[in-house]
Amino acid sequence: MSDNYSADVVVVGTGVVGCTVAEHALDAGLSVLMLEAGPRVERWQIVENFRNLPPSLKANWDAAYPPKPWAPHLETYTDASAAEYLQLEGPDALAYRQGYVRYAGGATWHWAGICWRLTPEDMKLKSLYGVGRDWAFDYNTLEPYYTRAEYALGVSGPSDPALQWPPMRSKPYPMGQLPFGPGEQRFTDVAAKIGLHNLPAAQARNSGVSYNGRPACCGNNNCFPVCPIGAKYDAATTLPRIEAKGGVILANAVVYRVETGSKNAVQAVHFFDQDKVSHRVTGKVFVIACNGIETPKILLMSKNEKNSNGVANSSDQVGRNMMDQPKISAQITMAEPLWTGVGPVQSSSIMNTSQGDFRNVHTGALFRMENAARSRVGGLAALKKGLVGKALDAEIRRLSACTATLTIEHELIPLPYNRLTLSAKKDWLGLNKPNIYYDVSDYVRRSTATYTLPILKQLMAGLGTTDSQINNFYTHSDHIMGGCIMGTDPSTSVVDADCRAHDHDNLFLPGGGAMTTGGSGNSTLTMVALAMKASDAIVSQLKAG
Amino acid sequence: MTHPLRDDCPLEYNLFRRQLLGGGIAFIGLAAVPYGVAAFADTVPNMPLPKFMEVSSLLINHQLNGDVGGRLATAMGVAYPDIEQNIDAILVIARKNNAKIVEDFYPDIPPGKLQDAALAIISAWYSGVISEELGSEVYAYELALMYQPASDVMTIPSYAISGPNGWNASAAPLADMPKF
Repeated sequence: MSDNYSADVVVVGTGVVGCTVAEHALDAGLSVLMLEAGPRVERWQIVENFRNLPPSLKANWDAAYPPKPWAPHLETYTDASAAEYLQLEGPDALAYRQGYVRYAGGATWHWAGICWRLTPEDMKLKSLYGVGRDWAFDYNTLEPYYTRAEYALGVSGPSDPALQWPPMRSKPYPMGQLPFGPGEQRFTDVAAKIGLHNLPAAQARNSGVSYNGRPACCGNNNCFPVCPIGAKYDAATTLPRIEAKGGVILANAVVYRVETGSKNAVQAVHFFDQDKVSHRVTGKVFVIACNGIETPKILLMSKNEKNSNGVANSSDQVGRNMMDQPKISAQITMAEPLWTGVGPVQSSSIMNTSQGDFRNVHTGALFRMENAARSRVGGLAALKKGLVGKALDAEIRRLSACTATLTIEHELIPLPYNRLTLSAKKDWLGLNKPNIYYDVSDYVRRSTATYTLPILKQLMAGLGTTDSQINNFYTHSDHIMGGCIMGTDPSTSVVDADCRAHDHDNLFLPGGGAMTTGGSGNSTLTMVALAMKASDAIVSQLKAG
Repeated sequence: MTHPLRDDCPLEYNLFRRQLLGGGIAFIGLAAVPYGVAAFADTVPNMPLPKFMEVSSLLINHQLNGDVGGRLATAMGVAYPDIEQNIDAILVIARKNNAKIVEDFYPDIPPGKLQDAALAIISAWYSGVISEELGSEVYAYELALMYQPASDVMTIPSYAISGPNGWNASAAPLADMPKF
């Protein structure tokens, strides 16, 4: 390999955020080089990996994505394997076992495709409720970028404002809503009886038509760990288009250092290839888009004489305010069939439970019925009972149709003690593993005790639950946010309103890490909206010379 | 590898099942070895497929796929060295009861090794595996029988049963078991 790597825009990470910036820059006539730590594979390989997993392992989102030694990610098979890469501590350490693959295309390979927007109130927690922080701008500023993000990803959603969340839009969704299967319809009907509104989700799945060269969703019910036909947006579908526009993508290139120069501008990034050989890449603007864990890790690893806390970290906020949506799940059995497994694995949520004046005391949350097919779960459970013949088939059918998982995802406010630091433990390349302290806080625990669990139990009763098991611990939602938090004050935040590092004029850190608050909904659409906003700033900056 | 910057080489991925389908029965014996039975790989018992299919069709009230049966027969012969003699004993019980379906003779299979063998055969057909451990072989996915009792409504993940927006909120009654 030659070391003459250089481009106008150097993008580290090939997930949805990196691809958004890269494509925007290419469209503006700029040269782009993308660096991806992990391998680049074809969709069929992931699908075959999934289909060839033993049934009980099919629930492990990561099992179809074996990591390369130089790009480790969480492996969930056992507690021991899960403890290998992410080093976790604190009272809710296990709730930060965040799932993301280090593959070209990033975590959108295995995301659910849900595209909720933040509400205006979600962005003003401090001024409205006295908790958390306010964003550097308001919803109206972000709204055009949300719309652009929805058209870039191909988001389907309802045309009726009464079914939209939030119902404040400048344009309709590019596609209409996907139909409900029987489970989501029944959950919707039950929720309505107790005054809750289960909304059709805005989702990056093609509804009834092809979009951006991807086919219509056919209800393969395998959105995670992988959509077998590419009907759900994932960034892997963008990579060939980026190359067609002249972008260069280097896989198996693990960026480990950001190099700064005169005026503290970034002048290069350094990466190891799979043979542990180091390379240097120069550029005019640098974008670190490696999600909320890997981005702060790279910045902290890059400390130098002038940036003694790490690059972009004069505020000491890099790696702080780590957020997610702490999840509580309930496994329920009902007297009557619900029938999940028809359509996408997620297609609706109760959202209005995330809003209210109670947020000055405790957090809000969304509620959802998981729509993944349960015949595998029912089949394995029935086999364990030693049944045969008609009794076995009847029990499989009952357990498939009459069981469900209900989920609560709580909003978590930015808290500086929820912090990513560099572990002394090293990976295959000798790079520090990330270490994260995580405490969901009393703000969330109060909500669970006094607000969300009572609602969950109402939903369970409405569904005719005869047996249930509610987790008494929080788990992760894989919505990594906050580690490069945005703000107007360089002393208390890492990036400005365009995701530009306060400390480095030509370094951009868009994505979940920049999010000031996370709301209760899935974070990806906001990440892409921020990437759109950052893209505009990057193009303007480079065009201005 | 087809491109210096990409990882398209399928040899790096676990494609046991598809390789088996393309590779024929002769390859199965070695490829099918699950964890814990590798020591038997050099002395694969040659369980007669017709006998395995006969006992399987008596133990399971479904149409059975011969290709899946071939893979399972070889794999179970490796994993359970005494499976053939247990099958012989189970068939004796079935014939004695003039059995057509499992309900005709299963109550007469004594608990212990014979019942364990019967349940292992049933479990293999229903789950598509004989081991759930990481890295163990999958002999059937979409043809694993545990997906069939709900297949009139519920998708086998990654295999669509409708088309674009072709599903709706209606579902068959629980009592309407599909015909197998």
